[in-house]
Amino acid sequence: MNPNWAEENLQTIRTLMERSAVYRRALAPIMLFAGTVGVLAAAIGLILHWDSSRAFGALWLGTAVIAVAGAFFITRRQALKDNEPFWSPPTRRVTLALLPPLTAGMVLGVILALLPMGGVVDFTLLLPFLWALFYGCALHAAGFFMPRGVKWFGWIYVGSACGILCFLTAIQPQIEISAHWLMGFFFGVLHLAYGAYLYLTEKGKIAA
Amino acid sequence: MNPEHFLQLDRVIHEKGRLAIMSMLAASPELSFTELRDALAMTDGNLTTHIRALQQEGYLAVAKSYQHNRPLTTCSLTAAGRKAFAEYINLLEQIVRQNRSK
Repeated sequence: MNPNWAEENLQTIRTLMERSAVYRRALAPIMLFAGTVGVLAAAIGLILHWDSSRAFGALWLGTAVIAVAGAFFITRRQALKDNEPFWSPPTRRVTLALLPPLTAGMVLGVILALLPMGGVVDFTLLLPFLWALFYGCALHAAGFFMPRGVKWFGWIYVGSACGILCFLTAIQPQIEISAHWLMGFFFGVLHLAYGAYLYLTEKGKIAA
Repeated sequence: MNPEHFLQLDRVIHEKGRLAIMSMLAASPELSFTELRDALAMTDGNLTTHIRALQQEGYLAVAKSYQHNRPLTTCSLTAAGRKAFAEYINLLEQIVRQNRSK
């Protein structure tokens, strides 16, 4: 018997599990890309003082489009590299799980930030929390078909959005903070942190 | 190689086709019969035989339903199946470690 049969079996199992889940190896570059785009958008918003609800909505919805397009490109490149079908059953399941909360967040963003509301209420500061909550729910739903960490990542969004909202409304209401800082934290820093964590842990697994 | 480890390997899971089915299902809550068949490039008959063997061992649950008026068979690992798969992987890892230390 080949002395390496156990190692080969483990490698085959790993490959099959990765194929069954969704491009595990593409997750780290996607997170790092989304995080970088998020931090850049926050910097642009802060430096150029795009604080009106329309400018804020346009900047961040545009950023979301760029992040999704980038994720699509990275996933497709990984699929081609691994000689696997892009639109595989797991990809379809993840997309279907992500779709309802992401659509709800986008529609709400368009309504609250871009459509004329008569200037009665400025929702700009509320949008980062709503988007983070919807995004957290989307990640949690997709996490059923992805590595377990994605579910926890979803919970981090939900928890931090609720926590910061509570802090700013109930505990320290006098603190004034730009919505771009919040967006930069939620969609820049958190993505970068998770991407770095995935990159380091996956690198370790490959080395092993 | 320590023969004890080899003898402890679950015979039901150790078969190539069944191991592939268990691996796919371990990473996904459930997969349809068609998805498994296409991903593993198995024939209907071959897949059915392996699924039945895993089902008899209590490792796999099969649910039959309808989607768009067409029958849909979905498979998922049972708790016993997940435990057996984890134990199988642990044993393989022990064998690999043992081989490397030689």
